[in-house]
Amino acid sequence: MGIGSKVRRLALLAGMAACAFGLSAAQAAEKHKIFLSMSYIGNDWQAEAANMVKAMAAHKSLADKVDLQVQVAGPNAQRQIQQINAMVQSGAEAIVVYPISPTALNQVVKNACDKGVKVFAYDAEITEPCAYNVHIDQLEAGRVTAEWLVKKLNGKGNIIAITGVPGTSVDDQRTKAAKEVFAKYPDIKIVGEAVGMWSQAVARTELSKILATRNWDDINGLWMQVGCFTANSMQLEAGKKTSELLPCAGEGSNGGRIQMLPEGTEVEGAAAPYAPAGAQRISYASPPYSGALALKLAVEAIEGKDVPKTTILPLPLVTNETIKLCDEGTWAEMKAGCNAFKPSLVSNPGWFASIFSDQTPEVGLNAALVGQPEN
Amino acid sequence: MSSAAASSPATGGVGLRRALMRNRGALIAAAVLAILLFVVDWISAGPLTYFDVSFLSSGGATSALAAIGQTIVILSGGFDLSAGAVISLVNAVLASSMDPMAPGASIILWTAVGIGVGMAVGAFNGFFIAVLRMQPIVVTLSTMFILQGVTLLVMDKPGGFVSPDLGTFYLGDAIAGWLPMPLVVIGVVLLAWFWLKGTRFGTALYAVGSDPDSAASVGINVVLVRFAVYVIAGGCYGLAGVFISAQTGSGDPLVGNPLLLSMFAAVVVGGTRLGGGQGGPVGSVFGAYILMIVVNILLVLNVSAYYSTIAEGTILVLAALAGSISHASVLAVQLRAARARLAAWRAGILPSQLERVDRRLKIAEPAHAQRNPASPRPAFHLRNAETLRYALPAYVCLLLIVVVTQVWLGRAILNPGYWNSLLVLSSFLAVLALGQGTVILTGGLDLSVPWTIGISGIILAGMVNGSDAALVYALPVVLVMACAIGFANGFGIVYLGISPIVMTLATNGILQGCALLYSQGTPAGFSSPMLRWVMTAKLAGLLTPIVLLMVVFVVAAVLLLGRTPFGRRVYGIGNGLRAARLSGIGVERTLILVYMLSAVCAAVVGVMLTGFSGQASLGMGDDYLLPSIAVVVVGGALITGGRGHYLGMLGGVLLLTALQMLLAGTTLPYATRAILYGLVVLGAVMALRERRLQ
Repeated sequence: MGIGSKVRRLALLAGMAACAFGLSAAQAAEKHKIFLSMSYIGNDWQAEAANMVKAMAAHKSLADKVDLQVQVAGPNAQRQIQQINAMVQSGAEAIVVYPISPTALNQVVKNACDKGVKVFAYDAEITEPCAYNVHIDQLEAGRVTAEWLVKKLNGKGNIIAITGVPGTSVDDQRTKAAKEVFAKYPDIKIVGEAVGMWSQAVARTELSKILATRNWDDINGLWMQVGCFTANSMQLEAGKKTSELLPCAGEGSNGGRIQMLPEGTEVEGAAAPYAPAGAQRISYASPPYSGALALKLAVEAIEGKDVPKTTILPLPLVTNETIKLCDEGTWAEMKAGCNAFKPSLVSNPGWFASIFSDQTPEVGLNAALVGQPEN
Repeated sequence: MSSAAASSPATGGVGLRRALMRNRGALIAAAVLAILLFVVDWISAGPLTYFDVSFLSSGGATSALAAIGQTIVILSGGFDLSAGAVISLVNAVLASSMDPMAPGASIILWTAVGIGVGMAVGAFNGFFIAVLRMQPIVVTLSTMFILQGVTLLVMDKPGGFVSPDLGTFYLGDAIAGWLPMPLVVIGVVLLAWFWLKGTRFGTALYAVGSDPDSAASVGINVVLVRFAVYVIAGGCYGLAGVFISAQTGSGDPLVGNPLLLSMFAAVVVGGTRLGGGQGGPVGSVFGAYILMIVVNILLVLNVSAYYSTIAEGTILVLAALAGSISHASVLAVQLRAARARLAAWRAGILPSQLERVDRRLKIAEPAHAQRNPASPRPAFHLRNAETLRYALPAYVCLLLIVVVTQVWLGRAILNPGYWNSLLVLSSFLAVLALGQGTVILTGGLDLSVPWTIGISGIILAGMVNGSDAALVYALPVVLVMACAIGFANGFGIVYLGISPIVMTLATNGILQGCALLYSQGTPAGFSSPMLRWVMTAKLAGLLTPIVLLMVVFVVAAVLLLGRTPFGRRVYGIGNGLRAARLSGIGVERTLILVYMLSAVCAAVVGVMLTGFSGQASLGMGDDYLLPSIAVVVVGGALITGGRGHYLGMLGGVLLLTALQMLLAGTTLPYATRAILYGLVVLGAVMALRERRLQ
């Protein structure tokens, strides 16, 4: 090997290095610093939503563009205020936030907006006008589910209502809208009402308390924000046949969805009560993909695209007519219309199954389970 | 303070040292805060600017103001659980009564309204605690429930309007570019405190906190001092409520509630001793800022979400440890004692190495053998008068609630299903009451209950995954893990000298992180058929198997606390740590066992809840912390330890469960239920009033 070739090679290497250096510098400059400020992560919904946001950030379409940092504020609004301030200080371009309070963050969010930071709230809303909001219409959720129940009962019967966390806007809107519907039918009577805190476990204790002085036979229907899976399980334990299960308007947990499948359907990993029972249901949810979508929109907003201040997500509704079991849970499969997952894949029946959106082909079942994006 | 100033130059050094010693807690908290600030400055990209300091000062101000009030209560020997609820109430009141159309708002007027609301609540607390001599923890817990209901009546969802004028004033600069307003507000409150401390009232406050009996006998009006303490503290919470209103510009009926636990942590980190008589609000202010600045540290270090509660717990323990570094700290004492034991062992003079001779006094016969048949044993109700006096009220109230249920809802007394549900729903708290109750009998408190329940349930469900066979090894694994958790709690408290509240609060955070890491956010697995059968089946259509197990458990619990050496040691420690140690009780070993018992009870509840719900979920233990404390106290136990009977606690469990069942059967709105719940608890413990001071 002559000296000439050596020099050539060195020059080539140097050129390549320069090239690579230039590239990486350009890439670093392009990466957007985005923060996720979560609330309390001690429940299934929050953890699932966080997984989906992480998966979105890791998807090949965004991985080169986004530098995502996730922080938890706990249930304390004061800490979230402090956290958002600190995020603005450390140079955030956008902040995706699960707001602990729709109003308490207004000042700090306004502050962030003034500094040019885009603030995206998912699931719940921030009332400060400069914030972007991504959520479902909670009034619609309350109304549609109540109307379904009234229709199932032919406008007559005793119902039990299990609400969410008192003092939150989401609970207030859903419950108010539903009660307005029930008020139109004088023969529909709410005979029991309890606070379910959006938890299957709480729903069970509250239902047990109500049923201590009542009988399943005195009740004709159930309206619950979370807890239909539990209510059905309790009726089966009390010796009811699957054909006698009361109609239940409620949440989009996978357990509830599996129970909606016609009895006798072959489902891998199913074991009673997490098994097909032909339960009469309407299943709705605040979809946990909203955080992932918010992140995607945030990147678009940073890149200068026009993003509307409010994105109202279509209300994911599943009834016995539209229920369909997924095979693997890829986005493509869900696009084709499936909306329930095998217990062998999702072992937690309380897991929220409304993870499909037309707008987020980056995330499927694996995103929600383990934070892994689609290919 | 004044003694240091007045002392002559020759003794100035001593006076200074004494002043330093007296304020050691606050000084160390200040040093820790300074170090943390330095750390933030060092690891973050830019230098700390005035802007950052201004943000930090407003971020921690609400907690700091509330912590000042809480400290004053704790100094007087009390305890105030209503603090967070007062902040929410003031926020709701301000946000719902300010007029958005009005051109400007009077800062003085609205601040006065906020402080006034707080003081009114304080007067309510003070009346029951000082005048009726009831235990602060139950009174303020009831107040908390009542206030949460009232707040929801004032404002049922977030919204409302707080004038920006308030924000401009409270969050602005006192001296532009130099001094942020929040620090001035805190400073003014602290100055007021220093003035108060110098008055006769201040001296009386410390005296009452140190020893109410002595205070009363030197002529201090203990009732008045206690009453005033709660009113003043209420004012501080009120001001904190005004501040958070200014900061957020609107109302949220839930905004203050989560501040409660961190407030206690701030007080303890700031060097104030729970139980009263030692410490001061200055340290608590530093404590509040230490807890707040942790948020920034986690952000700068980019600690992953699942690890954040672990990091917080660790920082809490480290801060508490740093606060206790001194020659007299528990850790140092323990190390010296260990060294002394080692030396004694080398020299061969440890008691266990000496020749064992029975040196007991030869008292002729055990006393009971000599009982004169002419004077029979006193009747049962006389022998157990003390226990009955404290345990009976819960049962009397339970009876009343059951009768009301029968009249109002029907189908109670003659309905076996009602009794079965009552016992099944009570079983969780009945088990927790043994653990928490024993801890409280020793004068401690276990705040790690929620996530001990959570992680036990999650691990059990994950291992069992629907198989009865797996239960055989999963159950022991979970219980051994619980023993380890309890041991860690006990070790930290006994050997490192960390206060039970801080230690168990930190453990709770660390366990939450572990549960999230283990489950990756979605707990897998479900309960086995047998476990579900135990919790939900109906034998002969009437009786759930767990009820039978509960009977066995209750008998075992009564025997454990009443008839074993362990039980007697627990009461001994609760009645006086020093006396217990001098009478040869292995205090360290017993305390560690107590915390292990509590953790095991919590783990059992986790397993039971998993069986009851069919699966485990994150946060499933969250609703059991305050009730576990409430039932113990409603059942007649003394929160400072030494008094209480398990049967009384069981009465408390049944009473609260029956009350909840009654309220759940009605269609009353949630706010009304919360108020009723608080009032009934308050009424139930009226009978537990302390005897009038002699």
